[in-house]
Amino acid sequence: MSTSVDPITLAVVRGALETAQREMTLTLEKTGRSSVFNLAHDYSNALFDHFPEMILQGQDIPIHLGSLIPAMKEIADFFGDDIHEGDVIYHNDPAYKGSHILDCCMYKPVFYKGELVFWAVCKGHLTDIGGPVPAGYNPDATEIYAEGLRIPPVKLWDKGERREDVINLLLTNMRARRDQEGDLNAQFGACRVGERNLIALLDKYGVAQVQACIAELKNMADRQMRSLIDAVPDGEYFGSAVLEDSGHGFGDMEITSKVTIKGDRVHIEVQSPPQIPYFINSYEGNSMSGVYLGLMMFAQLPPPYNEGLYRCVTVDLGQPGTLCNAQEPAPHVNCTTTPMETLTDAVRKALEDAAPERVTASWGHASGVNIAGIDPRTGEQYVTMVLASIISGAGATQVMDGWHACGPLCCFGALSSGDTELLEYSYPIIIRRYGLIQDSGGAGMYRGGSGTEWEVEPIDHEMTVVAFGEGRKIPTMGAAGAENKLLEPKLGKLVVKGEQEQVHKANTILSIKPGERVANFNPGGGGYGDPMQRSPEAVLNDYRNGLVSLDAAAQEYGVVINSQSISVDQAATSALRQQ
Amino acid sequence: MRNKYRLGIDAGGTFTDFVLAENNGELRVFKSPSTPHDGTIAIKAGLAQMSEAVGRSIEEIVQDCDLCINGTTVALNALIEKKGVKVGLLCTAGHEDSLEIRLGHKEEGYRYEADFPPAHMIVPRHLRRAINERVIGTGEVDMPLDEQEIRDAVAYFKEQQVESVAISFVWAVRNSDHEKRAKEIVQEMMPGVFVCTGSEVYPQVREYTRTSTTVVNAYLSPVMRRYVQKIDDYFKSLGAKYPVRYFQSNGGLAVGEAMQGRAVNAINSGPASAPQAGLFVGKPFDIDNVITVDMGGTSFDITLTKDGQTNLNKNIDFLRYRIGVPMIQVETLGAGGGSLCQVDQYGMLQVGPESAGATPGPVCYGKGGTVPAVTDANLVLGYLNPDAVLGGTINLDREAAIKAVKEHVADPLGISVEKAAYGISTIVNLNMVNGIRRVSIERGYDPRDFALLCAGGAAGMHITALAEEIGSTTVLVPKVSSVFCAFGQIISDVRYNYLASEPMRLDGEANLDVLNAKFEGLESQGRDHLISDGFNRDEISYTRSVEMRYVGQIHECNVEIHPGKICREKMATILDDFHKRHEELYTYSEPHNPVELVNIESTMVGNVAKPEFQTLESKGGTAEDALIGYRPALFDAEGHWTDTAVYSGPKLDVGIQIEGPAVVEEPTTNIVVRPGWQLVLEPNQCYRLTRSE
Repeated sequence: MSTSVDPITLAVVRGALETAQREMTLTLEKTGRSSVFNLAHDYSNALFDHFPEMILQGQDIPIHLGSLIPAMKEIADFFGDDIHEGDVIYHNDPAYKGSHILDCCMYKPVFYKGELVFWAVCKGHLTDIGGPVPAGYNPDATEIYAEGLRIPPVKLWDKGERREDVINLLLTNMRARRDQEGDLNAQFGACRVGERNLIALLDKYGVAQVQACIAELKNMADRQMRSLIDAVPDGEYFGSAVLEDSGHGFGDMEITSKVTIKGDRVHIEVQSPPQIPYFINSYEGNSMSGVYLGLMMFAQLPPPYNEGLYRCVTVDLGQPGTLCNAQEPAPHVNCTTTPMETLTDAVRKALEDAAPERVTASWGHASGVNIAGIDPRTGEQYVTMVLASIISGAGATQVMDGWHACGPLCCFGALSSGDTELLEYSYPIIIRRYGLIQDSGGAGMYRGGSGTEWEVEPIDHEMTVVAFGEGRKIPTMGAAGAENKLLEPKLGKLVVKGEQEQVHKANTILSIKPGERVANFNPGGGGYGDPMQRSPEAVLNDYRNGLVSLDAAAQEYGVVINSQSISVDQAATSALRQQ
Repeated sequence: MRNKYRLGIDAGGTFTDFVLAENNGELRVFKSPSTPHDGTIAIKAGLAQMSEAVGRSIEEIVQDCDLCINGTTVALNALIEKKGVKVGLLCTAGHEDSLEIRLGHKEEGYRYEADFPPAHMIVPRHLRRAINERVIGTGEVDMPLDEQEIRDAVAYFKEQQVESVAISFVWAVRNSDHEKRAKEIVQEMMPGVFVCTGSEVYPQVREYTRTSTTVVNAYLSPVMRRYVQKIDDYFKSLGAKYPVRYFQSNGGLAVGEAMQGRAVNAINSGPASAPQAGLFVGKPFDIDNVITVDMGGTSFDITLTKDGQTNLNKNIDFLRYRIGVPMIQVETLGAGGGSLCQVDQYGMLQVGPESAGATPGPVCYGKGGTVPAVTDANLVLGYLNPDAVLGGTINLDREAAIKAVKEHVADPLGISVEKAAYGISTIVNLNMVNGIRRVSIERGYDPRDFALLCAGGAAGMHITALAEEIGSTTVLVPKVSSVFCAFGQIISDVRYNYLASEPMRLDGEANLDVLNAKFEGLESQGRDHLISDGFNRDEISYTRSVEMRYVGQIHECNVEIHPGKICREKMATILDDFHKRHEELYTYSEPHNPVELVNIESTMVGNVAKPEFQTLESKGGTAEDALIGYRPALFDAEGHWTDTAVYSGPKLDVGIQIEGPAVVEEPTTNIVVRPGWQLVLEPNQCYRLTRSE
C-alpha cells in the first residue's frame, strides 16, 4: 500500500470513476439511433488520464479494449500542444491505431481550471461509413481506400465551436444520414456526461489527490496481473491457430504466438503470414485487442480494468506488412472478428500450454451478415449489421458448460442481439427463426454452448446480404483434451432458401428476393476436457432438450440413449466407452 | 375511513409487521416472526398480540376493519428459491429459444469469470413447444394457427405433468387471435390448469420481454393462488366484511381475485409502498420530492418520487428474469448493518455485499461473528449505545467490535482503528450514494431537490451523511420507520396499469382519433374493473403516460400527459415535454427531427379514504428533559472524537430543536445528527432534520 494515498479516498475515487463511465454508457445506449448502438451495445466507453493512460474501461466490447490504448496516445501526439478546452476529436483510421473504420471514436479532453486532467472517450460501431458496400464490409476491396471513409484525427468541436463543415463532410459520406447524425450526437452526449461527472469529482477532491489515487489504482492492477504471471513457471510457450480461407483464395493461414514468461513479466510474440488484398488484415490497434483478450481469458479478472494491467506485458506483433501487423493500403474492415479471433486463439493456446488449469475453451467466431435495401414502407434506405447473426456459443470452462448464444469470441457476451419484434419494426423483414442449433456445442467433459441460427425473409423488396467472418470450415477450439467427431453442425454457414437451397461457406454478397429466405448459422463454443468423461445424465439431459442428437450422444460422448424410454442404456454405454 | 380500523400486514422474510390504524387517529404497531410455509400462522400470532393490546377479540377487530391489507413476499420467495410450478410454453415456431438466448448477452461484472453460471431456465427447452403460426408487425396473419400442433404439445405437457401453461406468440400484441384460440384449446384439454397469454400479461412490443414476463407469471401464479385462497378463507372465517387487498409491485393495491392470475405483478411489492408512505409523511411540510432509503440488516432499498410521481421500471432484469410489467423503481443494494468489511488481496477495503445475517450477526452481538460488520463500525464510532439497542434486549460488545475492526481492516491497511471505522462508514455510504445516483441522476433528476426519507432500523445512523453526500438539506425520520412498508400499505390506493402499443409517427398527420380511442378503451376497461371491485365512479381517477422516442431510436422516454381528449395543441405540448425530458436525461435534444410514439399506458386508481393520525402537542418540555448523557463520537476522517449529546426519542417533546452533533435513540433505531444539522420532532410524529447549505 502506497503511503501517499488514503485508502478510503482511493475507494471513493474508484467508485466515482466507475459511475462516470457507466453513465456514459447509459447515455449512448438510450439515445443511439443505429441498432448497433441501442440494441446491440457495440460500443465502448473509457476514461483516460493526462498521460494519457487508460484509467477505466467498462464492461464493454473486448475488441475495443486494446485498440483504445494506442489510439488515445496517437491522438494526443497528433495534436500535441493544440488541445484546448471545448475541443472534441473524432477518428476511425487504423493507420492512426483505430480498430476498423466502422468504429468511430470520440475523444473529449476534460479541463479543470485550465489544466488537461482527463479524456472522456466513446467508441462505437456506426452502421455505415460510406464506400461501395452498405454497412462497410466489402469483400472485394483490395485496398483500404475501397472500404469507406477514413477519418484521421480531426476536430469536430474546436474550443467549443461545432464545426458544421467538417461534420457535414463526414455525414455526406455516409448512408442513412439521419441515423448517423443521431449516433454522433449520442457519442457527444456520452462524452459530456462523462466530463460532468469527472469535474464533480475534481471539485470534491482536487486534482492532486485524484491523480494520486489514479496512480495507485494503476499500480494495483499492475500487481494483480504480475501476481498471476508470477505463478506461471518461467519458460517459452507456444500456440498456433489456423485461419480458414473464407473465400479469398489465398488458402488457410497459420497464426502463431510465443509467450515468454520470466518472473512476473510476460512477452508475447505473434507471427502471421504476409498481408493479403482482402479485408481481413489487422492493423496494430486491433491486433493489440486480440492479444489482450487472449490474456484476459487467462487472467479472468473481475472489473474494473485499467492500463496498469498491461504494464508487465510486452507485445511484438511480427513483421510490418503481415496479417496481424498490417500496413497501408491493406484492406481491413473484417479485422475486428477475422483474423482477430484466430489471433486470440493463438495467444489463448500458448497460455493453455503455460497454465492449463486457468484457461477455458475458445468461443465461437463471428460468421454473420449485414443487410441493406430500400424499406418499401417508407421508401427510405436502411442498412445495418445484424448482431443477432453473430451470436455464437461460449466456450466451456474448467467448471461448467459454455453459455449458449453468448459470443462471438471478440465480444465475449457484451453484445445484445436485439428483440425480434424491434428488429422487424425497424427493418422490412420477417425473422423466421432465431434459435439454438443441435449438436453445435463443442464436445467435451463440459460441453461448449450452442450456436444460433438466424433465418430471415425480406418483405416486399429485394434485400442485399453481405456475409463476413469465418468459422465455417474449422470448428471452435476446445481445451484440455476436448474433441469433436461430428464437425458439420459445429460450423457456421449461410443457406439461401429459394427455389433451390444454396449453401455458402465463403464471404459473399447476395441478393435475396421476396419469398426467399436466408439462414445464417453461427458456430458453437469449444468443449473442455475429454467428452468420454461427461456424465451420461448430462448427455441425456442435452438429448431431451434437443441440444444433442442420438447420433452425437453415441459418437461424441459414447453414451447410448434409449429413445423410447428416454434413458441411458448403461450397459451399452459402458461397452461403447471402453472401445 | 368507513369503519373503526384499518389493518396493514406486511409479511417480510424475517418478520411480519402489523399496523392497526384506528379512526380516533391512534396507530399501533406489532411484529411477529414470519412463517413462510403458512403465512396465516404469523398473522394469527400478530392478531393475538393486537387483540391483547386493544382488549377485543380478533374477530371483533377484523369485522370492524374497513380494509385488511396484506403485503407478501410469497411470489418473491418462490422466485428466489426456484419453487414455482412446472411450466410449459407454447411459442411461435422458430422462436422457442428466445427465453434461453436472453438477447445473447452476459450480465456486466462477470465478463471474464469462468464460473459465472447461465441464468436459471424456468421452462427447459423440451417444454418450450414450437407452434406453426405467425402474425407480422402490422397485425396481419402471415401463417394460420396449426391447432393440431397445440393439441400435440398439450398432450406432451400432460404426460410431463405440467402444472401451468404460458402462451406467447410473436406480435400477439398487435393481434391476439392465435393466442386466444390456443388458450381455449389448453383450457379444454387441461381443465383447472393455470394458463396465461403474453397479450394479456404484458401487451407491449418486445417479444422476449413479453414471453419472459408471461413465463414468470405462469410459474408463480398457482403459488400465489394457493396463498391468496388461504388468506382470503382465513379472513372470511373471521367474518371480514370486505375482501382482503394485496399489495402489488406497482405501488397499489389489488383484490385477491386480480392477484391470483397475475403473480408477476406482486414480485417486488415489499418496498413498493415506500413512495406513498414518503409522500404522506412529507405532506405537512409541502414536500413532494422524496427519496426513500430503507436500510435493514442485509439490504438497502431506494425509491424516488418527483412532484408526487414515482418512476416505474418496465422491461428490466429482476433476479436475472426479464420482467416487463410496471414495478415501482426500487434500487436494491447489498448494504446493511450486517454487511461485512474486509480488505481484499489487492489492498482495497470492501464493504458488503456479503452479510453477517441474523446469525452470527455483527461481532458486537457476541454470537460468534469474527468479521466486522457495518454495525460494529457504527458502535466503534459512538453512534450506537452499547447498552440500549433493540429496546435493551441485546448488549453490544464494543471491545470486540474494536478488536475486529483493528484486525480485519485497520492493521491490513496500516491505519488507526478510528480511521478504519470511519472508512467503513464512508464506503458503505458511498455504495448507497451510488445507488441513489442510479435512481436520480441517471434518470435526469438532481438529488439536491429531494428530501431523504429514512426507513428501516439501520438507516438513521447514515442518513445525515448520505444527505450531505447527495447535497440534500432535508431529512425525515418517521417514528414508524421500522414498519414503514406496512404503514405505506394502509395509506395506498387500488391501482391497475393498463398498457397498449400503438406505434405511430408524430411528424405527419398523426391519427389522434386512433390514439384517443385506444386510451378511452383502456380506461373504460379499467373503470369496469374497479367498479366490480366495489368502487363508486367518483372514487375512480386515472393518469396517462406515453413512451416516445426520436424516429430510429429504440429506447423510449416516458412522458406524463394530462387526461382528456388529445387534440393538435395538446400533442404539441406533449412533443415539447418530450424534447425537454430528453435534454434533461442526455444533455441534448433534436427538435428538428421526427418523433414517434410507441407505447401508451393508463393507470387506473380506485381512491381509498386515508386514515387520520393523531398529532402530537407540545407538553412544554425542554431538550434537557430528554438528555441521557454524553459519549464520544467520531464525525470526521481525521479521527477527532467529539463529546456528543445523546437524547431519548420517546422523551423528546415536540418542537424542541436539537443541534448536531447529537444522537437520538429510539427503541428500534438511532438517529445520528451530524454537526451542522438541526433536528426537531414534528407534530406528525416525524423527526425533521435540516441544515443550512
